[in-house]
Amino acid sequence: MSSSEKTSAVLQGASPTPPALKHRSAARQPVQQSLALSSPDQLPADVREPLPAEITVPPSRTLVRASIKEHLWLCIYLPALPLEALTDRKPGTARAVVEDVQGIRRILLANDKAFAAGIRADLSVNAALSLLPDLNLEVRNPQQEERALKSLASWAEQFTSFVSIEAPSVLLLEVAGSLRLFAGMQTLWQRIVSGFGQQGFTANLALAPTPLASIWLAKSGREVCIDDHAHLNGHLSALPLHCLGWPVSVTESLCSMGITSVGDCLRLPREGFARRFGAESLLQLDRALGRLPDPRVSYRSVARFCALHDLEEEQSDRELLLHACRELLLKLERFLLVRQMQVQRVQFRFFHLRVEATDLVLGSVQAGRSVAQWFELLSIKLERTTLPEPVIAIRLRGGPGQLLSIATDNLLFNTSVKPRDASIARLVERLNARMGDACVRGVTTVAEHRPQYAWRSDGLSGDAPRCAAMPGFWNERQVPALLQEIRQTNNLLLRRPLWMLANARPLASEQGHPFYQGRLTVVDGPERLESGWWDDDGIARDYFVALTAKGVYLWIYQDRSKNAAWYLHGFFG
Amino acid sequence: MQPGICTVFLVNTMTVEYAELHTLSNFTFLRGASHPEELVQRAVEQGYSALALTDECSVSGVVRAHMAAKEAGLKKLIIGSEIQLVTGLKLVVLAQNRRGYTSLCELISRGRRAAEKGCYVLAATDFQNALPDCLVLWVPDNQLILGAEDSWILDAFAGRLWIAVELLADGLHRQRLERLRVLGETLDLPLVASGDVHMHYRARRALQDTLTAIREGLTLEQAGFVLYPNGERYLRSRAVIASIYPAALLQETLKIAGLIDFSLDELRYEYPDELVPEGKTPTTYLRQLSEQGMQSRWPQGASKKVIELIEHELELIQELQYEAYFLTVHDIVVFARGQGILCQGRGSAANSAVCFCLGITEVDPARMSTLVERFISKERNEPPDIDVDFEHERREEVIQYIYKKYGRDRAALAATVVTYRPRSALRDVGKALGLSGLQVDRLARSMQWWDGSEVDDSRVLEAGLDPGSPTIKRLLWLVRQLVGFPRHLSQHVGGFVIANGPLAELVPVENASMKDRTVIQWEKNDLEDLGLLKVDVLGLGILTAIRRSFDLIKSYSGRQYTLATVPAEDPLVYDMICDADTMGVFQIESRAQMAMLPRLKPRCYYDLVIEVAIIRPGPIQGDMVHPYLRRRNGEEAVTYPSEEVQEVLQRTLGVPIFQEQVMKLAVVAAGFTPGEADQLRRAMAAWKRRGGLEPFEERLISGMRERGYAEDFSRQIFKQIKGFGEYGFPESHAASFALLVYVSCWLKYHEPAAYTCALLNSQPMGFYSASQLTQDLRRHGTEVRDVDVNQSNWDCSLETHDTDRPTLRLGLRQIKGLSESAGQRIAEKRGALPYASVDELRERTGIKHADLNVLATSGALAALTGHRHKARWAVAGVEEPTPLFPSKSRYEATPMLKKPTEGQNIVADYKSLGLTLGRHPLAVIRNRLAAYGYVTAGELKTLSGGRSIRVAGIVITKQRPGTASGVTFVTLEDESGYINLIIWKKIAEQQRNELLNARLMGVEGELQIEGKVVHVIARRLIDHSEMLGDLLLRSRNFR
Repeated sequence: MSSSEKTSAVLQGASPTPPALKHRSAARQPVQQSLALSSPDQLPADVREPLPAEITVPPSRTLVRASIKEHLWLCIYLPALPLEALTDRKPGTARAVVEDVQGIRRILLANDKAFAAGIRADLSVNAALSLLPDLNLEVRNPQQEERALKSLASWAEQFTSFVSIEAPSVLLLEVAGSLRLFAGMQTLWQRIVSGFGQQGFTANLALAPTPLASIWLAKSGREVCIDDHAHLNGHLSALPLHCLGWPVSVTESLCSMGITSVGDCLRLPREGFARRFGAESLLQLDRALGRLPDPRVSYRSVARFCALHDLEEEQSDRELLLHACRELLLKLERFLLVRQMQVQRVQFRFFHLRVEATDLVLGSVQAGRSVAQWFELLSIKLERTTLPEPVIAIRLRGGPGQLLSIATDNLLFNTSVKPRDASIARLVERLNARMGDACVRGVTTVAEHRPQYAWRSDGLSGDAPRCAAMPGFWNERQVPALLQEIRQTNNLLLRRPLWMLANARPLASEQGHPFYQGRLTVVDGPERLESGWWDDDGIARDYFVALTAKGVYLWIYQDRSKNAAWYLHGFFG
Repeated sequence: MQPGICTVFLVNTMTVEYAELHTLSNFTFLRGASHPEELVQRAVEQGYSALALTDECSVSGVVRAHMAAKEAGLKKLIIGSEIQLVTGLKLVVLAQNRRGYTSLCELISRGRRAAEKGCYVLAATDFQNALPDCLVLWVPDNQLILGAEDSWILDAFAGRLWIAVELLADGLHRQRLERLRVLGETLDLPLVASGDVHMHYRARRALQDTLTAIREGLTLEQAGFVLYPNGERYLRSRAVIASIYPAALLQETLKIAGLIDFSLDELRYEYPDELVPEGKTPTTYLRQLSEQGMQSRWPQGASKKVIELIEHELELIQELQYEAYFLTVHDIVVFARGQGILCQGRGSAANSAVCFCLGITEVDPARMSTLVERFISKERNEPPDIDVDFEHERREEVIQYIYKKYGRDRAALAATVVTYRPRSALRDVGKALGLSGLQVDRLARSMQWWDGSEVDDSRVLEAGLDPGSPTIKRLLWLVRQLVGFPRHLSQHVGGFVIANGPLAELVPVENASMKDRTVIQWEKNDLEDLGLLKVDVLGLGILTAIRRSFDLIKSYSGRQYTLATVPAEDPLVYDMICDADTMGVFQIESRAQMAMLPRLKPRCYYDLVIEVAIIRPGPIQGDMVHPYLRRRNGEEAVTYPSEEVQEVLQRTLGVPIFQEQVMKLAVVAAGFTPGEADQLRRAMAAWKRRGGLEPFEERLISGMRERGYAEDFSRQIFKQIKGFGEYGFPESHAASFALLVYVSCWLKYHEPAAYTCALLNSQPMGFYSASQLTQDLRRHGTEVRDVDVNQSNWDCSLETHDTDRPTLRLGLRQIKGLSESAGQRIAEKRGALPYASVDELRERTGIKHADLNVLATSGALAALTGHRHKARWAVAGVEEPTPLFPSKSRYEATPMLKKPTEGQNIVADYKSLGLTLGRHPLAVIRNRLAAYGYVTAGELKTLSGGRSIRVAGIVITKQRPGTASGVTFVTLEDESGYINLIIWKKIAEQQRNELLNARLMGVEGELQIEGKVVHVIARRLIDHSEMLGDLLLRSRNFR
């Protein structure tokens, strides 16, 4: 086998069964060539339980398609997704999701317990709480719903290669080809329902020859399997219009004419219907009935780079290892380039035969994708790392990718990164690589009257947002206040010692006079600071600049709340 | 301060004198953290020589400060204002004398009028007259320089300009003082000490920080340097001040205070004088108008008694120089009459014989002989009080007339200071402390609409939060302080001030949120405190309905009525009232009133006056209702503790019911002077907000003890005084209202079609919906006809064709969502030629698709298209013409559409019209209800009390009055009438879900019959809403 065949990075939606790496080295089996890519939720891919290599198909009693030329669509509708997608669930409590509609918070969905107490959709938060004072309320989180849906889609990819996400709460599976593999519809159905159930999601399923029909049926709560176009019309006719997801104006308008089901619609003259309710509604009916094609887009797991380089035999030569790593980085670069993405963090894992693998994580201040840049960091870091054993294989994983354009925006906003500063960023990276993460830190001032909170140290690389200390930094309305803030900050900085003690040191005092290496002379002050009462660390102090007998300027304070005791808080130059 | 550590100026701190010249109260909204009264009180305690209240571009708080200063004995209250110019220059302007005050008011008005509500804009150009007779402090910013663009102040205020030195423990006292001293020498300006005071004592620091965070829309944690670094902006003790400032700077404060000689007491209000014709004095003109009025009121000549009365009143008016006030009100009323706007005065002076002659009221003094004694009293020195109610839809015309007649500079509305309530305070403080929206919601919810005003710990627990947590403790502590703080100025409902000269000389005028409205910076109480007079121009819905009824009666029968000519004291009308058959009339239509009528059995006008006043929270809380009822029904002897008391209470059988009686009692039984009684009245109105009744309690009870009254009696009187607090109802108002009650009852009895028609056209008003009003009308035997594009006008109307009794035709206005212009056009373009088809309707009227749709839904197109479904199909097919393609009717196949079922029709009727003329929904499902054993409202009356019963109906009202200790009153409606439920607190809590959500409610309970009053005491509630399908009926919830 050539080396190029041995390492490979393959983009793939659903992974067939990767053998576990642990077993591999002992058995010396040929390396599984691939793969690698996994969605974040499936990590680590290498410990996933393998499916049996061969599936024996039992004689099925239900629905095994003779021909797979025609499609069969299985719709999975998640009626309680907004509730179930939220993570912090306390079992056995009444819960409800709340949505902000034009500034008024209303109930969107309630769990069974809450429902039993009368909590219904559309109820205002006030009304809901007066019904059930200990109701647990959470605010709807669409991002979380999207994540949950994607994760479920990835999970569902074990059943078919074609999964489509119909936001906000529907998955569509094309299963015509899978029925035989999964021993018929009934098994498939049960596996999906129980699988969703185990993950904490309620699913309504329906199967139909057209995607729209399956969606409508699933939303209506009718769990039916229709495998024949001939039966479609009959099943659909009985559906009430609200399952169709048409605009409320259309549904209401139809309703006002006494037209309440799909069947009622189908009985109307086509031209008159289209004229009144738009061509789109008519098209949808046609698509649902299979009179028109209805193509769908397949969902693929979000690509995250992962590639393995097998060294064939144990290797401890640094140059060779570096070379292999370089190969992997080149693949990463191509991978990212194609997707217009970049990463801020990469992870190398060096596998050894007998001991646990060694991990090397590289982070960068700026998201980047150049091989040279990563390579430089790697070689510095590797130099300082002692590998416990020779290496048998190397795996490279890219961190979550960002779109290039977004990263560029961040650069624009981040005023510190100008061409001149790029070298500083480099320096920081190199320092971090040499001395370990968290060795190099930045200092930021914080708009705060309490001296102990008026500055903050930051890690420089990684994901830490650096503007967090400036609330509403980009809010235009606050710009004047901000300017004033900055002016005052400068002002203050001049009057603050550069060397501040982490903890103020009590000073001896005699008759109210502070002592530090002798009696202190007060030079300036008092500056009275009273602030921070809102958390549990409020202060009330009078600060002074004092001079020791030896001519050192100190920053001292007298605590107004505690017996007027004196403290040393910093040294001026 | 540690001696030896900071610089100490060598002065004897005990003798140092100081005047604070720069103070903000909480009338500088979201900046100042103390009430003006608190600042004044504290300044007195600290022994200040003077205190200047200098709210930012405002004098809203000065009247309160003025009153407090008089009471607390503040040596001198200075009035001024802090002004920040667009360049950032900050000045404190102090009024030196009356003229200076005027120029300050003019400046504030200019700045406020030029900006949107709540803001102001002032630039150097606004100081062209250089603020004569004002002293000016310049407050330098941190840069400590005077910008070139601001240097004009040196010339403009030469000789009366100071540099304010504000030393606030920022650690830079020495440097600041030095820099300012140099600056002063360079600019040749004297320095003066001031404190930039934001609060009366330092413990308000947390609240001040919170206000700042609220103002900036930040949490405290985010606020950073927007907050002040410390809490030094308070009224510091003179010793502290002396240790900070050089003595010369303190001396300068006294010098400035000494230059000022102005008090609000100097303000004199002058009535407009243009109302008196050439050659007449106000006195002779008022006499002339009264005599003319007397002739038209009593064409056969007035009785001797009346003539004497009028003479007596005129003398009193002359003595107190109130002629111009009566003339002003008279002028407004004459204008309204001329426009055909119905109006009616009320208030202490309104029920005088003079007002009857002037046409300000229609209450004949002969009919109300007992009232006259309580006309304006000389001793009380209380300005006359006349509120005039106008038709609510036409009040704006009156307001615009006043503006036009006197000009915007001379007429303005009084302000209402909107203050923090527990709920709004919780919201704002919660946000500032960083609580999430949901947490704040939870807390705010526990201040339900039926709760009182205190925030207590049990509420916090109920909201699922821990009252012991530090954040919650802070929250509640702050909320308690913030409640009652002014938040912004709003406009008073109708209190007008009209002056002879420009109002801005008296008080600044600023923009209201409504376009074309301006308000002054003082509220009603402030005006009263200063003895300034105002006219209340109020809107009253019933006047609209009554005027419309009069018009309708005239149009179909030719009979013309006025408030004064409706036949008086008709026994048939009183019969109806005693039967509590009063749905839709004025005042006595509420559930509580209806329950009282059969017991009180009003038989004459004065009974109505009592009825109006007695079913109020005040008398109910004061426990006056039952004693009165017992005495009236002869179950209890009518006794009086003394002759004096008898004189006061005789007309209400010994039970004090009216505010006036309570005040009079304080005078005759407790020895109050009339002036003290007046103070008591004001304290009564304010004690819930501010407290302060205790001294009166002591005085009242001891005064009555001295005069030999039993302790029980005096305690009872005091309890009633407290009850009156928020909701006391004066007899003078009840008297005017009672007339409207009688007139509306007369109309309901004698002209039901016209009255209901007028009510429908005046909606929304009153307690009852269009559905209930029309059902009531039909139960009384009048036919109501459907809305129809070929018959209806925009308004509901009367049709008289084939019967002698008019029938009611519903107007297009009943159709929800139909625009008025479309409705008017349909009636107008129709003329005598009915529309034949939907296409023709659209072509002739040009109305929009949306309007056609709502017409189809309402059933108004039935004559053109057949049933609703067909109408909607037809309308949906109508295409609006475009310039290129004028509409053409096209042929298309008509589908077979199902006919709507009866249920669907009822649903559509309610949705679109809010009522149905078909069967009542409960009639449709009566079979199913009967299976549960539910009886109808009609059957209830035939049953005996005390037995268990099951009833069901649509929930139309839910009331949980604050006076009824947790009882909820629910009214159900079925096809035969109404069922009144009483739900005790325990049941209400156990069955919250049913109580809140049931639209069709089934009830198991006990039947209670007392005379004609029928109640069901609920034991169990059952939600049957599912039986209604999606019948959309929403109940009205009242406090």
